[in-house]
Amino acid sequence: MLRLSLTLGAFALVAASPAAAEIARIKQSSGTAAVERNAQRLKAAPGVQLLPGDQLVTGKDGRMSLTFIDNTRFALGPNSRVSVSEFRYDRTRQKGSFVTKVDRGSLAIVSGRIAKSDRDAMKVRTPNSLLGVRGTKFIVAVPK
Amino acid sequence: MIRAGVAAALLMTLGGCATSSLVLLPDDEGHQGAVAVLESGGAPTDAVIAQGNSRTKLGTRAPIARPIGRDGLKKDETALLTGLPPPAKGFLLYFEQGTTTLTPQSATVLTALRQEIAARSGPEVEVIGHTDTVGGEDDNDRLSMKRAEEVLTWLASQGFDRSMMSAVGRGERQLMQPTMDNVDNPANRRVEVIVR
Repeated sequence: MLRLSLTLGAFALVAASPAAAEIARIKQSSGTAAVERNAQRLKAAPGVQLLPGDQLVTGKDGRMSLTFIDNTRFALGPNSRVSVSEFRYDRTRQKGSFVTKVDRGSLAIVSGRIAKSDRDAMKVRTPNSLLGVRGTKFIVAVPK
Repeated sequence: MIRAGVAAALLMTLGGCATSSLVLLPDDEGHQGAVAVLESGGAPTDAVIAQGNSRTKLGTRAPIARPIGRDGLKKDETALLTGLPPPAKGFLLYFEQGTTTLTPQSATVLTALRQEIAARSGPEVEVIGHTDTVGGEDDNDRLSMKRAEEVLTWLASQGFDRSMMSAVGRGERQLMQPTMDNVDNPANRRVEVIVR
């Protein structure tokens, strides 16, 4: 009974927190850089929180960098469009799945805990390929 | 003149056909990971790129990694790597038996923690409380949460916005040093703080 109320209490705490669904946070941005969420377009700025499904867009002078809650790090170059199509992460078990789509531009990635948790738990899709990330640092470029 | 225009247009078209590429690097600790090319040009492949400092053209049936060579990384590639955020950093704070009181040594870690958060742009702070196995599970769940909240409250008192921080308590479920039940263990009475 005690355990039940405790669990409910913990749930309420998480549900009340605005950061509940946060998957990443923008660290730096410059030039034209935005987060597209459904019909919304948010200016990318340090501290902006990302949700699954968000699209990251930069213009020809734009850049942005971000860190995910599993410690994965991204840096986007100019003229880029990158979507986080899927992001699920269990902080306690440190497992999850992560799919990023690079439609155009360039993206540097240092993978985090999701990539370590299971083989190909982290994937990156480009217009002509699908990559399985096995714990590493790399750059994907998709010229226009 | 017309011919030059056609040539320029052709060049642009060719440029437009450029295929995506992969540059694989060792990580910051010098360890070399790999990237599997699961699909390329619409067909599954079993290629695994494991050669560090290599460049691979994607979209072909059998992607092959080539050494970056003496020209090194391109300017825009170097700029991308420079733009990566700093890695996440972890801190450990230890507590006196059964309390939310920090050990004297850990009190000094707080200063380093505060400096680390202050030095970062757009920081996120995850605070995770733990206990040793002395006492019941429910009590330890509560105590671990209180320890985490104690640290979070202190950080808030230092001027860090609560919206950048989260706290959880994991009780005695994740022991740093595995022990039997009801064992007094200073290493297990801790709060882990991850700064991103």
